[in-house]
Amino acid sequence: MNNAIEVQKLRKEFKAYSSRSGLTGAFRDLFTRNYQIATAVNDISFTVKKGEMVGYIGENGAGKSTTIKMLTGILTPTSGQISVNGMNPHKEREKFVQTIGVVFGQRSQLWWDIAVQESFRLLKKVYKVSDQQYDDHMNHVIRTLDIEPLLDKPVRKLSLGQRMRCELAAALIHNPPLLFLDEPTIGLDVLVKLKIREFLKEINEKYNTTILLTTHDLTDIEALCERVIMLDEGNVIYDGALKNLKETLGEGKELQFQFLEKVDLAAVKHVTDGMPVKWELDERDLIFTANIEDSDELISRVITAVAAVFKIKDMKINETSTEEIIRNIYEKGAVDVG
Amino acid sequence: MFYVSMFFQYLSQYLKTRLQYRADLFVEFFSDLLSQAINLVFILVVFGHTNLLHGWNRDEIIFIYGFFLVPYAVFSAFFNIWDFNERYIVKGELDRILTRPIHSLFQIILERLELESLFGAITGLAVMFYAGSRLGIELHWYDPFLFIVFVIGGALVYGGVFIMLACISFWADARTSLMPMMYNISNYGRYPVNIYNKIIRFVLTWILPFAFVGVYPAAFFLGKNEWYWYSFITPVIGILFFVFSVLLWNQGVKKYRGAGN
Repeated sequence: MNNAIEVQKLRKEFKAYSSRSGLTGAFRDLFTRNYQIATAVNDISFTVKKGEMVGYIGENGAGKSTTIKMLTGILTPTSGQISVNGMNPHKEREKFVQTIGVVFGQRSQLWWDIAVQESFRLLKKVYKVSDQQYDDHMNHVIRTLDIEPLLDKPVRKLSLGQRMRCELAAALIHNPPLLFLDEPTIGLDVLVKLKIREFLKEINEKYNTTILLTTHDLTDIEALCERVIMLDEGNVIYDGALKNLKETLGEGKELQFQFLEKVDLAAVKHVTDGMPVKWELDERDLIFTANIEDSDELISRVITAVAAVFKIKDMKINETSTEEIIRNIYEKGAVDVG
Repeated sequence: MFYVSMFFQYLSQYLKTRLQYRADLFVEFFSDLLSQAINLVFILVVFGHTNLLHGWNRDEIIFIYGFFLVPYAVFSAFFNIWDFNERYIVKGELDRILTRPIHSLFQIILERLELESLFGAITGLAVMFYAGSRLGIELHWYDPFLFIVFVIGGALVYGGVFIMLACISFWADARTSLMPMMYNISNYGRYPVNIYNKIIRFVLTWILPFAFVGVYPAAFFLGKNEWYWYSFITPVIGILFFVFSVLLWNQGVKKYRGAGN
């Protein structure tokens, strides 16, 4: 068994009632209800190997959460096969959840009114973790996440960042081989984000923990995941390495110039006549941006040409960001990556 | 065994939570005692005007009422699920419950313990002793044991009915207003069922068997031979209804749709 997650033709449909408008409509709704079947997840298949860190991304309503809920045994699929850690999540729920850890960024696992360590203590009993296992594993977790000083505070008095770190620790009490994170960094500041990322990397290396992560923050994905699965309207539209996505779809580079003197766009355009360059001007900051193909020779030629004529104050070479790539994909609707 | 130890773990968690708010705890303790005392006076005043009702005298009716308060208190302490729909379905708290390795219903019961409701049992016992002594009821060695069995049976009847009501939320989208109505219906079990017409009596015995929470088991202690048969099936009805409600729950959980994030 090398796969932590195997999903085949997984489908989830919801019945959605639509109400008619007006008072007469409301009366008619009493007797015959209109409903439509909405497909949240549309026959998707994928596998995740043990020890992989996979980013699961998509717009709001693309079916991410629904998939995660089916994988964790919360929802029953309409059709299709799921095997997670060799088990069927909703059939053997109570045995199955012993082998997974779950963090829902917007929901708390911890007891609101009591000290964090009391929550840990109870969860330790719930997951039947022995004292020795707990000490071995959790002391390390607590140290790495730096939550020692928070342990005797009630959860309601913690800040969001502090709480999130405790949530993460709580999900790991039974040292699960598979971890589901649903937007774990939502609303957190940069430092906490970095800490959480480092920690995830560490447990992945140390225990070979498989991690499935959904997030809207693509920097999380870039920092952690080699592989991404991208979802749109319930379909998998890309499944593969993040790097490939960037190489194939990262269409060219951006050169940004700021000049010492006042320069107008036509003059700049004139300098690079004959080269395949698209100029844009940010009027407010007077930043001139050249969008060009990713070719080393062309980049040097443009820079040489511009520098020869104008005095340059500042210059940047940017790769197209992942965010931009993904926005492009959603605009086009599909991806063809070899 | 695991479930017994979990019960005590959650219980200690519950106590810790309560002890967090010291002032609140004292205020609540006194307000509970006070409300029970008022309840007691109220019962005596109200029933002071009744005399004979279809073969039941005043003290017997008070006794039944007193008995009813005990299983009701047990029910309120352990099956605090009247807001299941809002709390767990609409807010999606059930997601969290379902990711833990304990039966979902058991977890909800544990999370929602409200042991202060047990104060009601004290009132109930006081009422029973008051009425019992006026009726000159003798206490046999087996009475306390049967009392406990009947109380558990009654609490299970109550629990079963309310769990089934909670299960409706798994299938129906809309909030149901059935819960308050059911609390009203359940009150009919406090009075002798033969004062009602046949249909209501049938409903209170077999469909919504609230008569098994009050009048039937209490009749045993009052020495009403003609009701003994009903008294003794109290635990059976309790277990049947409870088991059925748990099976229904298990089916319902599969239908859970989750709340959007």
